[in-house]
Amino acid sequence: MNAILILLFVLLAGAVALLIINRQRARRFVHWIADPTASAMPDPAGDWGRAAASTRRALSRGEAQVKESAARLERLMTALDALPDGIVLLHREGRILFCNAVAAAHFGLDAERDQGQHIIHLVRDPLFVTWFSWYGEPRPPLEMPGHANASGQPVQLLVQRQAYGADRILLLSADVTAQRRTDAMRRDFVANVSHDIRTPLTVLAGFIETLQNLDLSGDEKARYLGLMAQQTTRMQALVGDLLMLSRLEGSPLPGKGERVDLREVTAHCAAEAFALSTRLYGEEAQHLHIETAVDFDFAGAASEIRSAMSNLLANAVRYSGAKGCITARWSRDSEGNACFEVTDNGPGIAAEHLPRLTERFYRVDKSRTRQNDDGGTGLGLSITKHVVERHGGKLQIVSTPGQGSRFALVLARTRVLERG
Amino acid sequence: MTEKHLSSQFDNELAQLSSNLLAMGGLVEAQLRQALAALTHQSGEFAEAVLTDELRVNAMEIAIDDELTRIIARRQPAAVDLRLLLSIARVTGNLERAGDEAAKIARMVRSIVNAGAVSLPLADLRLGCDLAAGLIAKSLDAFARLDTIAAFSTLKGDADVDREFDGFVRKLITYMMEDPRTITQSLDLLFIAKAIERIGDHAKNIAECVIYVVKGADVRHRSLAETEAEIVGAMDSETGEP
Repeated sequence: MNAILILLFVLLAGAVALLIINRQRARRFVHWIADPTASAMPDPAGDWGRAAASTRRALSRGEAQVKESAARLERLMTALDALPDGIVLLHREGRILFCNAVAAAHFGLDAERDQGQHIIHLVRDPLFVTWFSWYGEPRPPLEMPGHANASGQPVQLLVQRQAYGADRILLLSADVTAQRRTDAMRRDFVANVSHDIRTPLTVLAGFIETLQNLDLSGDEKARYLGLMAQQTTRMQALVGDLLMLSRLEGSPLPGKGERVDLREVTAHCAAEAFALSTRLYGEEAQHLHIETAVDFDFAGAASEIRSAMSNLLANAVRYSGAKGCITARWSRDSEGNACFEVTDNGPGIAAEHLPRLTERFYRVDKSRTRQNDDGGTGLGLSITKHVVERHGGKLQIVSTPGQGSRFALVLARTRVLERG
Repeated sequence: MTEKHLSSQFDNELAQLSSNLLAMGGLVEAQLRQALAALTHQSGEFAEAVLTDELRVNAMEIAIDDELTRIIARRQPAAVDLRLLLSIARVTGNLERAGDEAAKIARMVRSIVNAGAVSLPLADLRLGCDLAAGLIAKSLDAFARLDTIAAFSTLKGDADVDREFDGFVRKLITYMMEDPRTITQSLDLLFIAKAIERIGDHAKNIAECVIYVVKGADVRHRSLAETEAEIVGAMDSETGEP
């Protein structure tokens, strides 16, 4: 009887010991699974060891898969951020799921924080809200003003909306600012150029027809040819200015390496202005005071500076009439910027024209050049403004009707070179 | 606006109301942009657009107010919901008045343009108008995001608008002293400048509402330093840092 009890006791003790050992192994297994580096691996020969090994394999396979898909997602996100166009992924009712950096800039969103926000809460332009909430199809792309860019310039966007998946929306936004500006410019430009080129051509064609059909005396012929020459000169000047403008627009900014000898350039422009004045009004009719003494130089493109200066002088000569009195000189303003100012006592310009003067082909008096035929192309001030801005400066225009005008090129002091 | 209620219908109503409010904000922003364009181009055309939108803004204000009354009566909201609804009411009022100021600017510009050439610095008002319109946009962004930091920076931004206003008034005075004939026109410009300054104030009020919704603190008529302490203090107690 006792023997049986003892045997039972021993068996019980053995079972308890086995349980405890097993429990310890299980605990080791759990620890090891949680962090394989921190503890030793369970005995690989035992059951726990085999379970550990196969679990570990399954886990690491899963981990590798997760890592790989995370990497793939990362690559995809990088690619989306690198796109030149904006992408916003939205939930059907308009909550933002994702937006790339470009879209964030276009719409003024915060790519991180605005997830879950309703897009029309943040892009509130009524144009966009109406377009976005419209349920009809087809939905044409929307052109709308975007969030101003980093330099504060207005931006024009073309936005497209595309449904995908069961309940997702894709918004694509493209910056079309430059395109629209070019379009508008091209339109105005073609209209003006065709007008300004056609006029002399019509005149030329008329004279050619006359010369072909009529038997003219030598004097008459010479007079007609003279008029034809005038028209071709005008066209040449126009084409020359057009080319100059397109060069200014297309070429990189002038470097600071080239030293412009302002004395020489000023002397050259002065000579041109005197010649023009003599041609238009005769010798000594206008009073021109052009100071050619300059005690500093300038870093920039000499041909451009010369063109800007001669345009201002030519305008002053043309518009101030036979009794004109024109002064021009270089100086430095209080901040050290270089300033070339041309002052005349001409008829002056009314205030409403001033902001538009530098537009291409803008004329204060529409009839003026046609009747005078003085050779102005209507592009001079556009060229001047372009040149000045390319050299980090600005064109200042002050004018009082009846008293005269003052045009000044103000050029950045960083480009002024002291003469050693 | 993201916390869930037992009644998801209530959530929807709140979301819809916020959407309507921000849509109204978008319309007022568009008015301000057009008022700015009218100033820039001295054009009566843009001014007309502002005045047309004015009617829509008014209609939206009434619709939002109706909806608000209905929600408050039916749901009897408390805590953050009540603060949100009160704030929506205040923001609506401020937006409507900002729209009124934009219309005032538009009317002035139109009458100045119709009267002929402008010899006074009308274009100088652009900077202030741009600043004020930017503040309205910023305050509405802050409202949509419930972002107290952005709201606080709107409060600070209003000081710039005020400074711009003071500068412009000083400038106008010099014109008026120089030539008393410009006084009539100067007074018109003064009204425009004042309208711009008021728009800045409305932006400030909207920003204060944002702080009220989020922090439950009424920062109206408080100094900037006190307001900042309120925002920062509340933040510290949230994160548990000293």
